[in-house]
Amino acid sequence: MSDLSTSEVLRLPAEARYADELAYLAAADDGPRLPSWRLTPRMVRTFVLGSSPQDKLAREIPQKWFGPASIVERAIVTLGSDRGLLLIGDPGTGKSWLAELLSAAVCGNSTYVVQGTAGTTEDQIKYSWNVAMVIAAGQSRESMIPSPIMTAMLRGEMGRFEELTRCTSDVQDALISILSEKYISIPELREANTVFARPGFNLIATANSRDRGVNDLSSALKRRLNFVQIPIVQSRAAEKKIVLFRVKDLLSRVGFDVDVPPSLLDVLLRTFEDLRQASGAATTDDGRLESSLSTAEQIGVLEDAVLHSRFFGDAVLRPELVAASVVGTLVRRIPEDVSVMNRFWHSVVDKHASAEKGDWVGFLEGGKEALKQLG
Amino acid sequence: MMSPPVTVLEDEAFAALRDQLLGAAARLAPDAQHLSALLAALAGDVARVLREPLHIFPVAHHSPACAVQLVRRLQQFTPKVIFIEACEDLQALLPELPSCVPPVAMQAFAGESDDVPARRLPLSVITPLTPFSAEYQAICFGLTHPDVEVVFVDRAADHVVQWSREPAPEAGGPAPAADDENERLHGGAVGVEVGDLMPTFPAFLEGLLEHSRTSSFAEWWSLYVDEPTITADHHTWRQVMVLVGALIRRLGVSPERREVDRLRERFMWTRIKDHLQRKGIAPSDALYICGAAHAVAEVPEWGTDHFGQPDDPRWEIPPRTRTTWQYGFIPSAYSAIERQFGLARGSVAVAEQSWEKALKALKLKPLTLAKAGRAGRGEGADEAEVEAPKAKARGKKASAPPSAPPSDLLVDGGAAGLLTRPPNLLSEDHEQLLQWCTGVVAKAREAHYMASTADAIAIYQTSILLARLRGRLHPSPYDFADAAETCLDKGELGMRRSVRHLCGMVMGGDRVGRVGYATLPPLVRDVYGRLAGVGVTPGKTTITRVLLDLQKGGAGPTAVSDLLWRLRALLPGSEAVRPVTGERRLGVPRVQESWDVKLHGPALRELIELAYEGVTVEQVLERRLRDRAFAPQATAAQVLALAEDALLLADRERLSDELGARAVELLALELSAANARELFERVRRLVHHLRSRPSGLPGWLGAFVATGYQHYASLLPQGFADRGTSPAQLAGVLSFVLTLETLALSLGCHRSQVIIALRQAGPLTVDPGKLGLLWAAEWTLELKSGATVRDDFQALMDNPMSLAALPQALGSLLLALSFAPVVSGLAAELLSRAFGELPEELLLPWLPGLLDSLRPVAGAVLPALLREVVQSTPRTLAELDRWSPPFGGAAIPTEGQVPAKAPTNPRGHDAMVISAHLRAAPAAVEAWASALGDPPTWAEVGGAGDDALADPLTEPGAAGLAPGVAALRALLEARPAAAQAWAARLGP
Repeated sequence: MSDLSTSEVLRLPAEARYADELAYLAAADDGPRLPSWRLTPRMVRTFVLGSSPQDKLAREIPQKWFGPASIVERAIVTLGSDRGLLLIGDPGTGKSWLAELLSAAVCGNSTYVVQGTAGTTEDQIKYSWNVAMVIAAGQSRESMIPSPIMTAMLRGEMGRFEELTRCTSDVQDALISILSEKYISIPELREANTVFARPGFNLIATANSRDRGVNDLSSALKRRLNFVQIPIVQSRAAEKKIVLFRVKDLLSRVGFDVDVPPSLLDVLLRTFEDLRQASGAATTDDGRLESSLSTAEQIGVLEDAVLHSRFFGDAVLRPELVAASVVGTLVRRIPEDVSVMNRFWHSVVDKHASAEKGDWVGFLEGGKEALKQLG
Repeated sequence: MMSPPVTVLEDEAFAALRDQLLGAAARLAPDAQHLSALLAALAGDVARVLREPLHIFPVAHHSPACAVQLVRRLQQFTPKVIFIEACEDLQALLPELPSCVPPVAMQAFAGESDDVPARRLPLSVITPLTPFSAEYQAICFGLTHPDVEVVFVDRAADHVVQWSREPAPEAGGPAPAADDENERLHGGAVGVEVGDLMPTFPAFLEGLLEHSRTSSFAEWWSLYVDEPTITADHHTWRQVMVLVGALIRRLGVSPERREVDRLRERFMWTRIKDHLQRKGIAPSDALYICGAAHAVAEVPEWGTDHFGQPDDPRWEIPPRTRTTWQYGFIPSAYSAIERQFGLARGSVAVAEQSWEKALKALKLKPLTLAKAGRAGRGEGADEAEVEAPKAKARGKKASAPPSAPPSDLLVDGGAAGLLTRPPNLLSEDHEQLLQWCTGVVAKAREAHYMASTADAIAIYQTSILLARLRGRLHPSPYDFADAAETCLDKGELGMRRSVRHLCGMVMGGDRVGRVGYATLPPLVRDVYGRLAGVGVTPGKTTITRVLLDLQKGGAGPTAVSDLLWRLRALLPGSEAVRPVTGERRLGVPRVQESWDVKLHGPALRELIELAYEGVTVEQVLERRLRDRAFAPQATAAQVLALAEDALLLADRERLSDELGARAVELLALELSAANARELFERVRRLVHHLRSRPSGLPGWLGAFVATGYQHYASLLPQGFADRGTSPAQLAGVLSFVLTLETLALSLGCHRSQVIIALRQAGPLTVDPGKLGLLWAAEWTLELKSGATVRDDFQALMDNPMSLAALPQALGSLLLALSFAPVVSGLAAELLSRAFGELPEELLLPWLPGLLDSLRPVAGAVLPALLREVVQSTPRTLAELDRWSPPFGGAAIPTEGQVPAKAPTNPRGHDAMVISAHLRAAPAAVEAWASALGDPPTWAEVGGAGDDALADPLTEPGAAGLAPGVAALRALLEARPAAAQAWAARLGP
């Protein structure tokens, strides 16, 4: 996987993207490791949360996931235990990114992923068959198509299950034996009809807390998973770091660096903060935006504005562009969302523009113009 | 007395660390000047404290290591005086401490002050005490050794308020939101801790937590300072504490806090030196317990190098304000302390666990006040004695030989060794972790979590893994809590307790202190004494349901009920007493009552704060009523309400007379009619109630009515003319004047005053919203007839230019129903016509406002209006078909009826309407018939009788005249008003 390059792949998995860091940490890490883990738990933590001087590493490891350190530590020790890990949280809180980073650090492969949907079947979790080969030669291990989870078991690596709670309960329960007995039986075969997990296998699942109640996990499955709640980012400073990190990351794919003026980033963060507050205070659904106003939305807004400035502007990120991007991204329902944004813009943003001037003035005008076009 | 510490030994022990610090400073000097200077300064701070002859004992709040070190230190060294960093005026409370069970808080309370803005009142400053704090251990030592003085040297509570820039939260205001009742035990008090070290510089705290991999300062302190030093030798521990204190002082304190800290340090050192000089005590015989950050203060007064010399600096301590402070103990709780000082949840319980573990490992016995456990059992607690372990003998000889800690626990190499090696692992740690793991699973099962033995194993394993990941030899309580949350919390909604809460319970849980009975203020003891008969006793921690039968029970239940109602009035938002059934209102007999009484937790604190105002509930009630009544901003309405309260609750006529007289005085001074409605309602209620008493109406109430009558009569012209007086206020004035008129006239008032006022008001009234009130008042006083009033309204309706004013005029007529029932018929009629005839553009905007204006007076207005409407509308469905409004206009015909009926009446629609009117209200016609000597008989509807009724009126001399018709005609001609009214109803 590490031989992939940016020119060949749109989005490199974490283990390829940070291959040199992982190699360095593995070389620098002389502590006891859990079976088949490439790094010690402490180095996994360093890989995800970044290094500090007390780690005494010759090279600085940048932080890749931003949030409470105890969350990451709890996730790491869960992966070292007998239980699977379920990361649960609101949309845009970085659950999947954390799962990917953990898989990459622990086993050097984060691509054994099953995406949970309402149409996911048990075959996609366990195994399926190559029909042509079955017709030609009958059922055998060769004609069997292992699922990503089964592959992870066979290799003693991390399997990932995205959006677990989007699957129906009977499909979810296919994981019980995998997590409990650590093997999968293949009753269609007479011989070699059991796939045992190798040491090091574990499962990282994610679930959206907004899907709570749609497909609740069974008690048996809950018992085999440790739940780690990913909180919403509360600190503006932390959110700033996340937005910058992710925007730079995303735009590096199209090959240019980003230079976001700090004052403009503050305007964006403050706008989202105010919008969240307004959304919380609204008493009806029509009075709040449909968007979840997550950190991921901010990243999307900024990315959109940067791309627009590069391809249709003078390559300078201006407040008018960011405002237009905010309006364009957050208005999904017409006229409800337009009404909310119109009111917000003429009260909150207008007040900021009068009081603080600076980028707020252009931001105010840009937003008004964008709203006029929507109207 | 044993000799004080030999600083030379400490210097030697410090040498290694000092060399390291200075060496690092020298290495960093070329590249990082600031860091180099900081390290050198830190080393200098420690050396300075070690050289000081007065033994400075640096502590942190609720730190078990500090408490352990103090216990061990006091076994070796008995000072003559122990100075403690606590508010100096709280010292008077110390003799009461033995009857309390910690955690309790020393409180200074001021309900009023001329020098503090009213929004900050009441003022409350508290200092909580836990048994594992150094200050509590020192106090115990002082109380058990008569020759050892304990002196509080920090600024007084008054200075705390003076020097705080932020307004103090309202102590008596709404309780802050808290998950747990115990968290609210301190109310809105300002907390003052001994040895508060919490960094107030955000960047420093952030960096500290990030690099230490901890989530809170409490966790950092516990893991990096308390745990490693708890078993260290005294010199090493002291050096570490001074070093940490110096670090936080230099880097972790915001500029605002640093400024206040400097004032406090100057204050404390001045007080210390004054005391030493006054008592002739050498500095080396004194122990000074202060926060570690204060130990290295850099103020001119610091140190005793110049003690006794003329150039010894002293600070001129600023005076206190004139605020009168009251002092007492209130119960506290670990959760309240955590909430007050922003500590991590469960951190105080963790500290207690560390304290007990260290005592066991070091084979130490803590200093206690032996009888504290018996507190709250009644008067006998007064005799509580204090004792300390190994301190049976008094005086200097009381010092027990020091118990040497096990040698394997001591740290070699002094502070330098301690800071470079992990802490010793106690065998108790492992056992404790196992107990926690199984304990939290058991608690989780009780709390309906899905938890099993497998979870206990998983928690244990996860704790170990987390500790290793975080670079610890053994899981800390915080690792354990993280592990338990990871393994047990499945994101279930609706759980009563969170996993963190359960962990806190397993690790010792919350503890609530108890204030001893003897320590309670007289008022609280009095309340307990009076409620003893219904099962409310000191120390009880459950809610008592009190059932009172006031009819059969005699004087006992009535006395209890009186007390409970008074408490309810004094503590309106409190949970202390809550009526379940029963009410207390003027004129309402009390039969049975049921109460929930809860005199513990926050409610006890509120009762204690109440006790600062007086020695009995009645005294406090009387004082509060009087204070409020004679406050400069009091209004007549407020004072009248207080007079009613005095009658109802205090049951003291003298007081109600006094308050009533004050209300009369204020009423005469009022310039507006803003409170007229409220005054009227209250006065009417009081008059109705009090005139039925054998003693009759009290003099003040008569005076109030008479004053009100004259006062409001004189305000009437102004009220009608002034747009600032609303119609509702004016209606209140007229209600007062016209409803209480009889009483007022009997007290010497004259109706002519009101008549003149109304005549003056007439030409001045231009506001259509007051026209109805004016006309109704004139009608009531017979200055105008009902017909004239109707004509006036008709004129409004007829004139398209004035039609827009009709809704407002009609609205004010409705308001007049509260004092002029005579207008009810006209009001119903006009309202019906307005609904039927007003154009929608006028009617629809008016309706919401009409409802809004009627809502406050609904009780007085709607009954009369509804009665009138009911009388004029059909009572059955059958009557509805032939019903038409009595005041004119046709009923809306139902489908199919009009075509069928129309041909049967050749006289036309008008005759039908008249017929319907007469049949709907037959009394008048029947009376006429009877007066004319004919029996009242009615023909069938639509039959010949209808014609017979109509014919005589319209066709005189025609055949079929009933006897007496000529007389009827004469009568109608003589009194044409009725016929004209009919004509008006029928329209043009």
